[in-house]
Amino acid sequence: MKIVKHISIFIALLFIASACTKYVDFDPKENYEITADVYFNAAADYEAAVVGAYDPLQWMYLDILIGDIASDNSFSGGESATDVIGLQHIDDMVHNPNNDNLTSIWKWLYEGVNRTNYLVENKDKLDFDTKEALYGEVYFLRAYYYFELVKFFGDVVLVTDHRLTASDSKTLQRVPKSEVYAQIETDLLNAISVLPSAQSQKGRVTKFAAQALLGKVYLFQDKFSDAATTLENVIGVYSLVDNYGDQFLRAGENGPESVFEVQFTNTSNWWDWGYTPQGTEGNFGVIHNGPRAFSGPVYASGWSFNIPTQDLVDSYEAGDSRKDATILDIVAFADATGATYAEGYKHTGYYNNKYIPRAGESGAQTELNYLTNYRSIRYADVLLMAAEAFNRSGLDDGKAQDYLNQVRARAFGDEDHKILLTGSALTEAIWAERNFELAMEGHRFFDLVRTGQAAAKISGFVSGKNEVFPIPQQEIDISGLTQNVGY
Amino acid sequence: MKLSFFTKNAKLLFLLLFVFSAFFASAQAQKTVSGVVISSDDNLPLPGASIVLKGTSIGTMTNIDGEFSFEVPVDATTIEISYVGYEKVEVELTGQPLYISLNVLANSLDEFVVVGYGTQKITKVSGSVSVVGKKEIENLHPVRTEEALQGMASGVNVISSGSPGATPTVLIRGIPSYTGTNPLVVIDGVTQTLEDLNALNPADIESMNVLKDAALTAIYGVSGGNGVIVVKTKSGDRNVKTSFTYSSSYGIQQVTKTIDVLNASEYAAILNEASVAAGGNLIFPNLNALGLGTNWQEEVFQEAPISSNNITASGGSENSSFFLSAGYLAQDGVVGGGDKSYFNRANLTANFNTSLSDKLTFILNTSYANIAGKSLSENNIGSVLSNALNFDPTVSPYAPDGSFGVSSTITQEIKNPLALINDTYNLGKTNKLFGKLELQYDVLDNFKITSRFGYTYVDVYGKNFNPLVWYGDGHNSTTAHQDLSPIVTVDPVSGDETSTHNRISESNTNYFSFTYEMYGNYNFNINQTHFFETIAGFSIGKNTGSNITANAQDVPYNSWEYADVSSATGDAESQTAGSWQYESRNLSYFGRVNYDYLEKYLFSFTGRVDGSTSFGQNNKFAFFPSASLGWVASSEEFFNFPAISYLKFRGSYGAVGNDNINPQYARISTFPKYTFDGNIVSGSTLQSIPNYDVTWENQIQFNAGFDIRLFSDKITLNADYFVKTVNDLLFNPTLSLYLGTPEYPSSNIGKTKSSGIDLSVSYADTFGQDLKLNTSVNFTTSTNVVEEINNGDKFIWGAGYGIPYTLLTRFEEGYSPGYFYGYKTDGIFQNQAEVDAHAYQTGAQPGDIRYVDINHDGTINDSDRTKIGDPFPDFTIGWSLTLNYKNFDFNVFTYASIGGDIYRAYERNLNYTNRYAGILDRWTGEGTSDTEPRVTFIDSNNNRRASDYYVEDGSFAKIKNIQVGYTLPNALIERAGFDHLRIYAQVKNAFTFTNYSGYDPEISSGVLDTGIDRGSYPQPRVWLVGLSVKF
Repeated sequence: MKIVKHISIFIALLFIASACTKYVDFDPKENYEITADVYFNAAADYEAAVVGAYDPLQWMYLDILIGDIASDNSFSGGESATDVIGLQHIDDMVHNPNNDNLTSIWKWLYEGVNRTNYLVENKDKLDFDTKEALYGEVYFLRAYYYFELVKFFGDVVLVTDHRLTASDSKTLQRVPKSEVYAQIETDLLNAISVLPSAQSQKGRVTKFAAQALLGKVYLFQDKFSDAATTLENVIGVYSLVDNYGDQFLRAGENGPESVFEVQFTNTSNWWDWGYTPQGTEGNFGVIHNGPRAFSGPVYASGWSFNIPTQDLVDSYEAGDSRKDATILDIVAFADATGATYAEGYKHTGYYNNKYIPRAGESGAQTELNYLTNYRSIRYADVLLMAAEAFNRSGLDDGKAQDYLNQVRARAFGDEDHKILLTGSALTEAIWAERNFELAMEGHRFFDLVRTGQAAAKISGFVSGKNEVFPIPQQEIDISGLTQNVGY
Repeated sequence: MKLSFFTKNAKLLFLLLFVFSAFFASAQAQKTVSGVVISSDDNLPLPGASIVLKGTSIGTMTNIDGEFSFEVPVDATTIEISYVGYEKVEVELTGQPLYISLNVLANSLDEFVVVGYGTQKITKVSGSVSVVGKKEIENLHPVRTEEALQGMASGVNVISSGSPGATPTVLIRGIPSYTGTNPLVVIDGVTQTLEDLNALNPADIESMNVLKDAALTAIYGVSGGNGVIVVKTKSGDRNVKTSFTYSSSYGIQQVTKTIDVLNASEYAAILNEASVAAGGNLIFPNLNALGLGTNWQEEVFQEAPISSNNITASGGSENSSFFLSAGYLAQDGVVGGGDKSYFNRANLTANFNTSLSDKLTFILNTSYANIAGKSLSENNIGSVLSNALNFDPTVSPYAPDGSFGVSSTITQEIKNPLALINDTYNLGKTNKLFGKLELQYDVLDNFKITSRFGYTYVDVYGKNFNPLVWYGDGHNSTTAHQDLSPIVTVDPVSGDETSTHNRISESNTNYFSFTYEMYGNYNFNINQTHFFETIAGFSIGKNTGSNITANAQDVPYNSWEYADVSSATGDAESQTAGSWQYESRNLSYFGRVNYDYLEKYLFSFTGRVDGSTSFGQNNKFAFFPSASLGWVASSEEFFNFPAISYLKFRGSYGAVGNDNINPQYARISTFPKYTFDGNIVSGSTLQSIPNYDVTWENQIQFNAGFDIRLFSDKITLNADYFVKTVNDLLFNPTLSLYLGTPEYPSSNIGKTKSSGIDLSVSYADTFGQDLKLNTSVNFTTSTNVVEEINNGDKFIWGAGYGIPYTLLTRFEEGYSPGYFYGYKTDGIFQNQAEVDAHAYQTGAQPGDIRYVDINHDGTINDSDRTKIGDPFPDFTIGWSLTLNYKNFDFNVFTYASIGGDIYRAYERNLNYTNRYAGILDRWTGEGTSDTEPRVTFIDSNNNRRASDYYVEDGSFAKIKNIQVGYTLPNALIERAGFDHLRIYAQVKNAFTFTNYSGYDPEISSGVLDTGIDRGSYPQPRVWLVGLSVKF
């Protein structure tokens, strides 16, 4: 009977073991992981989530490159005809729905939208003093991301109440861009009503930034009177810096002309190519614009993308200080300094001097960490938008001339270059001025489309098609979205 | 107790024999026969061998020293000597003391194989198992144990890299999943991982069995889906005197092949042509002075030594036994040499086993390994070999002043490979302790309880130093001036100084895992006809890992000697730290019943229940059952084929799992950051979304096979056919892009099917007295198909190559896993008319590659990509041949892998980087070439896109091992006090027969990254000499 005893001990042990099935339950706290169900229980959680919502602003280097490459301002460049093929296709206006760069833009902008929506979804979980003003930033950011989406893709998927989860996959469709614009306006008006005029931290959204963006959004819808009234709020709040070129240097960042500026720094010690641009705090766009195989003073070597065309160079009037500030004539520079460089694809001899690798301005993995901020909305832009709004609305050509000429006076350093035209001639002058002032800052293509000049100015541009970019094929395949006309 | 039972019987037998012989002694005239019986395997004495006078029942047994002595009639001429597991021999009596050496019986029917939680007599096994013994392992002298499985075990595919110490890809029976294809490794009953085999000294291994079908792996449940490698390490025998062995080998490794790239003159001519074709000027106006230039491959390859030394002691007394071993292996890299690339491993093993009482046995196995290594980047565009293949051949290795030569035209990624080797500084050190404590309690003769605690503790230290480097002014990897001083710049406006820095990183990672298991084995029979072996038990386990990493900058003097976080002088802001940790736990119950009817009809049933922290909340426990049947036809009375000595049919069916999921929860990531006021501010976002229903991959496996022995066991053949299906493959579903970039949870939405045949045939024979032959062939084939992926896309991407990164491999519905995806080429456009006649192909000109319009839509675009290759072989064959003639032994092992493709992906394709020499046959005008496109700096057709232009047949046959050994005659060595002394010479990777143009067609870094040659590290040829001694 000894065996019975042994077997019963054995079975008893089995039962003891089976009692501890809790042993295989997992609590994320064991790995020090914060989970969604315990989050948003302190103001600091909200503040952190807002920082997270700003983050995708730093990923938008492609949007900015394409703003000029797709236009008549610059060529794709790069090392060869196959270097970043998505940009090469866009330069040649032969882009199609299978474009990795456009897919990235789409995905990253929607990550921005979703991060703001996650805050909106959790807005009522906790009350704290600074909450309303904080949500002003959230609404601004959501408007910013949607505006970028509409500019690129026209009609897009619109969600405003929650962060999308797996169950939302393949359930949504595009809505007309007018609806998206309406939401953008609502968000910006809400933001304006709660945002402060000034923020203690440079880089945070202010009420004026929201008004400037709203004015721009109106302008893109040809709502000229609304644009005029809205932008008028911002006039006089900022000022133009004396020397045009200074504001694009490191010392000129967040200066008196800066209305909204996307912030970067070279201190994040980022080395990982695989998670760029999301991981780094540096501006990944800058290395693209750098002179190829450069060795010499002031600048640093880069990838020779986004190279200004001879036409852009030739368009400037004599005496316009903006020409040299906008465009680096590498041939002349090399002659003067003994610097050396190599010629990349579609070499023109010019580089984008506004966003260019400058020696010593990066850190860690040099290509990934340029500190250069992106001047998203400058006061000069506001003045020119206001001028256009007052002119095209028919409200006040005088005011339009005034704003236009403020910009020109700074550019030429004198009062001898005033434009005193009216009506559509003034409109044409303002449009031209916009490019002298804003060339190589990522605005040109969208301005040309908005003002109906794209077909005339961009070779290969097909009217009725190229005003917007194609919805990524991957998204169409997965989600069954409709494609834009012509793609 | 079994032992005492046998001892008692032996005593009785002795007594009987004694009485018996005494009886005869009185009847006849007698003479004394004496001698010693040893094993030819290791020249150790065989105690208990039976000696019988032929044709009589007169006999005796050898004593503890293998000696025997007994009386026989004077006219006796022949005795027969037999011993379990050894070939029976007849010896003529000479009147002299006899010295009898027995050969190990190949694939003995009396053999026991180690299976999960026990051993089983091989004749009773109805599942599918491949066995690799210590003899095979000793022959191969593998650096890593897995090498010994390649071609030696049917059903197993091993794809190795030549890089010192690298973990190979091991696939047991196909590719049912795209994640976690590593088999489970069980060392002396303790579950470990494939990575853990790097710490095992191959010289310590007694046997290595590969459990292949559900009948044998289901006892490991959710971990058994990829097959199980069961390793048994050596242990001492009781009641034998201590024996020592020492073995030593030294070898030289060399690379036998270089890739044909352009020499300086060819390079210059091609560049000139490419530039002119793009409307530019001649790059090299004068070609005459260039000559051959620098062959960078010859600059980086070196002959490198490999050496190995092992010493063991084993033995035992009446109540205990031990095995002690110490080993040291040192392997330098053939790329860059031993300063920058090596793998050194020191091993200490102590296996000890003792009887605490006559019912209680205690086993203590402890192994320690210390591994140190340095490595150079490999199989990527930044690797030394990739740089050697792409760098400018017109540049000299060194400038006149002794500094490294630089290129003025290649200014991104690719650099002087010698400078790259020089600038690579890293060190990895691993300390590992693993083993078990085990108690076996014999409740009854046939009922045993085992209680076992197995553990693995690993401590990994890593250091990596990125010094300030100079690859020429304007090179985008340059971080210093030519004198290696940092580049300091001053902001013209603010006056702020910015400088480049060197960087140092150190990390410490710890892993600890344990398994506690308790199980009982109860064996019984009914009427000596129905035999049962049963087992039941449970197991709990835990795996943990944690890491701390610190980074700093400004190491003094930019020097490796001072490279340490503690010495770095960078400011506090530049010092960063990070950490991670994980823990998983599991709880399991298992049981098995084996039944046989007189070893004629076999049946087994196995089940395991697994619970794991990794499983979703709604699926905490999984059940894995399996069953098998066997029929030993040759035991039937009606079976009457004299040629067939043994025939068994086997079949099994069951479920096993694949444990490749992570705990599910909605994670808030604090990684997102933004910059305010120039300072980085941490933010947060929802990072992962859970799926509480997610469950392990459940594999259904079917196996059918037979084992046959012919012509008195001279030929044995094992054959198996298997089918594995997975109906709930884990996948990250492809979700709408408008969800943004968080991690979405895996779902069980895929289906795969693998089927194949494993075959092994062996033939052993003796010709005359002196010549023995032993040969075996292993054949492995499997067909893998992804049957279904419900993720929307119906595929996921695997690996890619190059800059810009081009994705190449796919795991896609309707295709084999990891196949190459790209454009199909259709020759070269010879003239404009051909371009015009073809589907619209952006930028195509005469001389460019014509791509096939797969979907016939009149345009060549991404939708025209298709399957262009499959890196996995159709089948592999291993053939081993061993000959023994007198004291000489000879072994050849050949391995062939047929039908796999290789993608040539090492070209950087910058205008100024070097090219594969195939380009010399390029198109230069109508009719000049239909395979190689024109050269031009403006590749408007994108001839460099992923296409079958780069796909080559990677089939190969390698003579992996040739070895000749000589065992010194005993008469000679006994005087020196040795029992056995063998010297040998060996060549590993002696010859490779392949059409592949690269170094080595064996390329793998995981299932979805197989066959992409980015400048992969070749397996060197190794010339070795060695000796082994026993005393």
